[in-house]
Amino acid sequence: MFILSGSIPKDFFGGIWFIIQNNYPLYLEGAKYTLMISIAGTTLGLFLALLITIFRIQESDSRDNFGTRAYKRISVIMSASYVEFFRGTPMMVQAAIFFYGFAMIGIRIPILIAGIIIVTLNTAAYLTEVLRAGINSIDKGQMEAARSIGLTRGQSFRYIIFPQAIKNMVPAIGNELVVNIKDTAVLSVIGVSELFYMGKSIAGTYYRYTEAFVTVAIIYLILVLITTRILTLIVKWINIPNKITFPTSQSNPVEVN
Amino acid sequence: MEIIRVSNLHKSFDDIEVLTDINLTIESGSVTTIIGPSGSGKSTLLRCLNQLENVTSGSILYNDEDITSNQTNLNELRSKIGMVFQSFNLFSNLTVLDNCIIGQEKVLHRSKHESIDNALNFLKQVGMYDFKDRKVTTLSGGQKQRVAIARTLSMNPDIILFDEPTSSLDPEMVNDVLEVMKNIISKDYTFVVVTHEMEFARDVSDRVIFMERGRIVNDGTPSEIWNINSNERLKRFLNI
Ligand SMILES: Nc1ncnc2c1ncn2[C@@H]1O[C@H](COP(=O)(O)OP(=O)(O)OP(=O)(O)O)[C@@H](O)[C@H]1O
Ligand SMILES: [Mg+2]
Repeated sequence: MFILSGSIPKDFFGGIWFIIQNNYPLYLEGAKYTLMISIAGTTLGLFLALLITIFRIQESDSRDNFGTRAYKRISVIMSASYVEFFRGTPMMVQAAIFFYGFAMIGIRIPILIAGIIIVTLNTAAYLTEVLRAGINSIDKGQMEAARSIGLTRGQSFRYIIFPQAIKNMVPAIGNELVVNIKDTAVLSVIGVSELFYMGKSIAGTYYRYTEAFVTVAIIYLILVLITTRILTLIVKWINIPNKITFPTSQSNPVEVN
Repeated sequence: MEIIRVSNLHKSFDDIEVLTDINLTIESGSVTTIIGPSGSGKSTLLRCLNQLENVTSGSILYNDEDITSNQTNLNELRSKIGMVFQSFNLFSNLTVLDNCIIGQEKVLHRSKHESIDNALNFLKQVGMYDFKDRKVTTLSGGQKQRVAIARTLSMNPDIILFDEPTSSLDPEMVNDVLEVMKNIISKDYTFVVVTHEMEFARDVSDRVIFMERGRIVNDGTPSEIWNINSNERLKRFLNI
């Protein structure tokens, strides 16, 4: 499907229309990768966040012996550092370090997998904070009552606290998915052929940058709008009286009401 | 037979002593109420008994075992010493029935079937059987507290601690809950009740403890406490 740039109409809208007509499979391919990476990254990130949160919320009490105390302290420091690192550096830089770092020591990770891993690690950091905020927002009496009937701290989290925190978190998880759809664009830096990357290569083919990227923007907008609507339905469906604010990710989150 | 013996108990929060040299024995099957002004340490004392608070020094024997020691299995202990809270603290992600079976299944390792039977029995006793499948968030305060009592009873504890169980209730519901409490009083359980309901305390108690500034100031039967010869401070507190 190689088309000479000479045949593309000179005017703006004609150019967009021409580009869409002749390149929609590429755009669709890019959109597919964008969705794949952001959905996989958000889902895996959520599970990783659950795991990291377990370390993050360790608390020693006066009955712990020295070993337990040290273990809990280290758990908190490690997990907090993880969160600080991923929240404190741009995902684009993380992607570059991760990808070229492994390449340097001779390990070639398939680009798509690398993209998913980066988004997962990033999402996990944000959702760990979200989960922690969610847990802190649960009335302390819930934990006390759970402990008072003899549940262990772990059981109390698992059966009482987490289910309530997760339910409150659903809008924040949705926001994170929307943010990821947009932020996967930075993965083009390592050559993941997601939507923005496709836009760049199409733009280069015709030397018509504005038209190619406006098309990209429209597709992002469609993806985000559809996702937001679906999320809104999900949130309505579980019917959450939600008045908690959560820490948000790199881009401004889209409101899911 | 004594079930609890507290000896020389001190409790501080960040250098501020809130319980000072508490000595107390509680007879198995008895009803003890703790009264006293706000901030006198009633809740803290109660919470030491099921080790929701660690003591700073002193000992608490439960059936002759010192539960302040590191050797004590706190989860097993707490399954035998139930607690009913002022703010109910029902598990808001669970139904009424599930509130009453989760501890039985996860702590006592009873079968689902057995747990349900047992829970329904107690829900009947507190008059909440018809609400068994309701989300707890849809209940009124009085209903919540009755479920909380059923949740505690479902663990078949030896001791039940009540921390101002009627203080957050609308006045018209207070008597409902007090009636439920009177109904379950029997030699099967040992009750320790912190309350501001003086009439109730006087009616049901075998023993009343008056606390002030972290100390036990008076300790006696209701007739000893509501006595014209009581000290001035206590008389003023009791309005007699
Ligand atoms: N977790 C805590 N940290 C610091 N101080 C506390 C804590 N819990 C209680 N206190 C303090 O200990 C003292 C006794 O509190 P406690 O709750 O036992 O009193 P109380 O007799 O139950 O009062 P009330 O009738 O108001 O419930 C108070 O001065 C209180 O501020
Ligand atoms: Mg109190």
